[in-house]
Amino acid sequence: MYQIGIDVGGTFTDFVLHNDETGKTRIHKLPSTPEDPSRAAIAGIEALSAREGFDPAQLNRVVHGTTIATNIILQRNGARVGLITTEGFRDILHIGRKKRPLNFSNYQDVPRQTAPLVPRRLRLTVPERIRAPDGAVEVPLDEDAARRALRRLAGEGVDAIAVAFLFAFLNPDHENRVRELAAEECPDVFVTCSHDVSPLHREYERFSTTALNAYVGPATATYTARFSESLSGLGVRSDLRLMTSAGGLIGSRVAMQRPVSLLASGPVGALIKGIDVGRSIGHPGVITLDVGGTSADVGVARDGALHLKHVLDTRIGDYDAMVPMVDVNSIGAGGGSIAIVDEAGMFQVGPRSAGAVPGPACYGLGGAEPTVTDALVFLGWFRPETLESSGIVIDPALAEQAIRSAIAEPLGLSLEDAALGIYRIACRHMIDAIRLGSVSKGYDPRDFVLVAFGGAGAAFAAEIARELGIPEAVVPPHPGVGAAAGLLSTDIRYDFMASHWADLPEADLAAVAEKYRMMAARARRELAGDGFTDEAVTVAFHADCRYKGQGYELGVAVPADFGDGWKEAVAEAFHRAHERHYLRRFADATVQIVNLRAVGVGRIAAPGEEFPGRGTAAESAGSEGAGSEDTGSEDTGSEPEEARIGVRAAIFPAGDGWVRANAAVYRRARLTPGAVVGGPAIVEQEDTTIVVPPDFRATADRHGNLAIAERR
Amino acid sequence: MDAIAPAELPDLATLRREAVSTAAARPPGLYWQPAAVDPVLLQVIGGAMKTAASEMAELLFRMAYSSIMRESQDIGAGILDRFGRQLCESDSTPMHCGSLPAYVRGIEKKHAGNYRPGDIVLHNHPYFGASHAPDYGILIPIFFEDVHVGFAGCTGHMVDIGGAHPGFSVDVPDVYAEGKLINAAKIYREGERNDALWDHIIENVRTPEANAGDIEAMIACCRLGVRRFTELLDRYGLDIVMSACDSWLDYAETRMRRRIREIPDGIYEAPGGWLEDDGKNFGVPLPIATRVVVDGEDIYVDLSGSSPEVETGFNCPFEGSVLPTVNFAIRTLLLDEAGDGADVPQNDGIFRPVKVYAPEGSIFNPSFPRGCEARFAQINRIPDQILQAFAAAMPTRVTAGNSASVSAIAYAGSRIDDPSRYWVLIEVNEGSYGARWGKDGIDAIDNLMANTRNNPIEEMEFSAPVVCERYELRDEAPAAGKWRGGLGSVKRWRFLAETSIGSTGDHRSGDPPCGLFGGVDGRPGAMIHNPGRTDEADLPAKVSGYRLAAGDTLEIVGICGAGMGDPLEREPADVAADVANGLVGRADAEADYGVIVDADGIADRPATEALRRQRRDSQRR
Repeated sequence: MYQIGIDVGGTFTDFVLHNDETGKTRIHKLPSTPEDPSRAAIAGIEALSAREGFDPAQLNRVVHGTTIATNIILQRNGARVGLITTEGFRDILHIGRKKRPLNFSNYQDVPRQTAPLVPRRLRLTVPERIRAPDGAVEVPLDEDAARRALRRLAGEGVDAIAVAFLFAFLNPDHENRVRELAAEECPDVFVTCSHDVSPLHREYERFSTTALNAYVGPATATYTARFSESLSGLGVRSDLRLMTSAGGLIGSRVAMQRPVSLLASGPVGALIKGIDVGRSIGHPGVITLDVGGTSADVGVARDGALHLKHVLDTRIGDYDAMVPMVDVNSIGAGGGSIAIVDEAGMFQVGPRSAGAVPGPACYGLGGAEPTVTDALVFLGWFRPETLESSGIVIDPALAEQAIRSAIAEPLGLSLEDAALGIYRIACRHMIDAIRLGSVSKGYDPRDFVLVAFGGAGAAFAAEIARELGIPEAVVPPHPGVGAAAGLLSTDIRYDFMASHWADLPEADLAAVAEKYRMMAARARRELAGDGFTDEAVTVAFHADCRYKGQGYELGVAVPADFGDGWKEAVAEAFHRAHERHYLRRFADATVQIVNLRAVGVGRIAAPGEEFPGRGTAAESAGSEGAGSEDTGSEDTGSEPEEARIGVRAAIFPAGDGWVRANAAVYRRARLTPGAVVGGPAIVEQEDTTIVVPPDFRATADRHGNLAIAERR
Repeated sequence: MDAIAPAELPDLATLRREAVSTAAARPPGLYWQPAAVDPVLLQVIGGAMKTAASEMAELLFRMAYSSIMRESQDIGAGILDRFGRQLCESDSTPMHCGSLPAYVRGIEKKHAGNYRPGDIVLHNHPYFGASHAPDYGILIPIFFEDVHVGFAGCTGHMVDIGGAHPGFSVDVPDVYAEGKLINAAKIYREGERNDALWDHIIENVRTPEANAGDIEAMIACCRLGVRRFTELLDRYGLDIVMSACDSWLDYAETRMRRRIREIPDGIYEAPGGWLEDDGKNFGVPLPIATRVVVDGEDIYVDLSGSSPEVETGFNCPFEGSVLPTVNFAIRTLLLDEAGDGADVPQNDGIFRPVKVYAPEGSIFNPSFPRGCEARFAQINRIPDQILQAFAAAMPTRVTAGNSASVSAIAYAGSRIDDPSRYWVLIEVNEGSYGARWGKDGIDAIDNLMANTRNNPIEEMEFSAPVVCERYELRDEAPAAGKWRGGLGSVKRWRFLAETSIGSTGDHRSGDPPCGLFGGVDGRPGAMIHNPGRTDEADLPAKVSGYRLAAGDTLEIVGICGAGMGDPLEREPADVAADVANGLVGRADAEADYGVIVDADGIADRPATEALRRQRRDSQRR
């Protein structure tokens, strides 16, 4: 049988195919087809099936990472959405939290007002009111008014209706009833309720999440259904699985109801692959750096596990979305980031990007401003022929010219200092992003390994690791398809949340346990429906807690036994989390529970991976812990002469200055396990270029990774 | 009370001599050797400073207890050098950040040259730089190789600081009645907490747990700042780091001065304005006056002619509130973050070209011990007045009149579980913006110097015996113009138990936001006790210890910003959209804009053209 991971990006659709019998992995890339992304996906399956000689019916897993929902938001071409909400609260989505996005601006736009998910004319109210703290009904739902509102929205031609009532997370009856009425009044409209999408307190954020779900709902459902049909047409019998922003997979049926969980899932795959890589070399703490053309994604996973952002930090584009999102942050620093000297003489890199058109100056497509890629070309790291396969011809003279006129001359710097400066400033942006994601959360980067992805990540890995004190940077075998590879290592995951406010000492343990049990049962039911046996299923419980009086919760894992010591254990777990985040514990303060969460996971064994220079790593991967005694730094010390394809002069950072050195150039595919490449060196492969600075060396391990570390 | 006669206005020489800037005076001697910093390292250090400030603020509002700090994020954080020059600041509430240099100047009066590692200073004295007494400041001196090199500082609004009434006190005789004053108290000396002082501070407020948690969070925030700055010094050395910071200050200054130079020299005068009252002498309005003098690369803001100081807490601390406000106004006008000012850091360099003059003994520069807690409503008029002053000179950068007030209300009562203790909640209610050149005003958004968040209703109803009955845009049409003004909001609370409120604000009745270039004036706000009941009462914006019975309601109606440009020039489709969205009535569309909206909600172009032509003809006659 075979498994396939398909990751649709803006430019390319990436495929990773795994043959379960042979353990072999194949990768493939096709240009994306934005008008219907499933076209490239299906074409890729057909191409691979022809090339590798298998029948699509042999695919027992099709895993999909899609930006379809994200793009609907960014391009603002979603559904015409109507909102039904509590009388007196028509404008919650318009007012939001009433804070201006920018402090020092009179001319800013406020996107929730200038580009609303639901325009005011489609926001209708009905009499009803649920009350805190117990969900009692203060005003019964006026069903006639609800029917009138539904009919009016249907008359306005809406494609989707969001139902969002105050305090519905305490009592969903009114929202459920409106959904029933909608089934009668407008059966063809996509209807979504706030208590389903995000059963958490804070009305603006919950309403916004619900509106987003409605906004992306119809198109995502259509897409998912069409893709599933095309797969059936190819003879594929297994259900389509989709990657969520929580870093788990969901089935197509759930994806059609809760498309909001697909938002911002794009960067998650690489982090999951990074965790996989870390595990194989015995490193549970992983920082991933995925550098593409316009942005860099930074992911942090401590203890080999994904961590979620706080629900108030989860946004998509300009909109607030209170859904579980893995802690991955994007910054505007990539190969296309433009370097300038601004009007007051300051040397800046990004966030403006040259994009694909005109692209870096060296592409010769009309771009005159120097970019990060131009700097890398000038430094001698990127060979002009590197991108030939994609039809781009690099002209180093254009890179030099752009750096000279825009940076070197205005600042009176040498060309070398100017080019290296562009590189260093881009590094600094990434370092700041990593620090915000790790150091400010109480983690020490020195406990992590840096895993580089994307076309340009491997050019930055060594320098950033040195700067942050990270002992080792690792480049996996196929860094250019990290997200697609991560899909095959992703577990099926269902997140359930329930609001439950209680001071921990007074909490009704039986009621808490009951809520957890109900969520666990739902998770098991979903996973059983996905074909998981009980042994393959784990359900973990978490609670969002805070000191009574605080407003920001921290999530902590809680025991599942609900025995005598449960409250003490939760309190201690929270004290410890607070201490790590804020350096303080308040042992005497009351701990308050705000939300309960259950995470049901259906375990997927990560497939082994073929890597350059070796047949397969299947025998070493997949069985947990197999790599733990092998840190990948086995140093047999052999200079890999057979992989060496030349020497070229290149410029490297040295202290605060630079050094010009002859760097050996290697072909990665020819590096065998144990091979050690001493810096300065450049290792080339189809989807990236790896830079090994002087004072570093890179070691190929038996998993196909190249580990870069400072020479001791 | 009449405005001070124009004859008393200071001349340019006086302004040059006596106007005050937030920027520190040129340091007499440096404690580092100036070094050349290459442009790349400059970026590296600039980025690290910016990251440090944002980390500080994130930690503070996440760890904080009171809703005013954690939900509203009414806080500021930054790092300053030993001279009190602000090196970086967080992206939180402008009023807070801009005030940090004044706090440092305030504590220097007591402790200059007398800090030890491990000292932590708590400060809130509004006559020594604090923004107002509820805004506590924590400052930790930073030492590097035994040399005092700077301060990590933050400010945060305490929900209660003692004083006559819970939360806010307007009608009080002096600064002592507003709350406990803490003048540069070292709550830690060389790492040792002064427990007696700590207990004294915590035990003399109505919300001891919240204050203790908030102060702890502020200390943690500053310690993080100390750590980040020290890491930078360890890595690059004092000379390089301080020289790099110096360059960033110069950079911000250069960017500001370039913009100022583009404005012709001269005197730019705002139309005079009026504040409703001082919170005690109702019906007695207070004048405000603003002139801006552009002198080459320098800007002087002269508040002469504004009301003399008042007998209540409705005065503005000069250093901690007036100066940051003027800095905010000029920076926002000249270096708009949504436009050409995006990459300019907010530091001492921004402050250097800007100087402020307000006569001593005036509402903007009161004399000790005048009360000065309730300062936000009048302070927000300064940026609005500066915008009006520059309207003719920079029409595409200014706005029509903004709500330019603030409605901050403290709600308090006895706790049900323990009647001997208080619950206190503060809400900072929003206003709206005036129209902009090419853009409508922003609806229901925080006012100028304030940029806080509202409390979620679903949080409030869990925390206090209140029920929200309504939170929507106002029912009345927005102020008409080619670009319309922003709409205020209306919020109505019902109280389940007896509640006392204190508020500071200004409804702008009698002097609403000012329409520009033919746009219509905005609409005043209101605060209504028991709307719709026989005992309905219009409350002034400022009340002190006002009692609400169980079952009562309070409606807060936000101010609407003014319009810009002739309403007859507004794009008919935009008027039709406002009609469809229920913001403008069909009749108003015709009356205010001369737009005929047909039965399908579409603007009838020929009919509209005809009506507008007729309207213009009759105007001409």
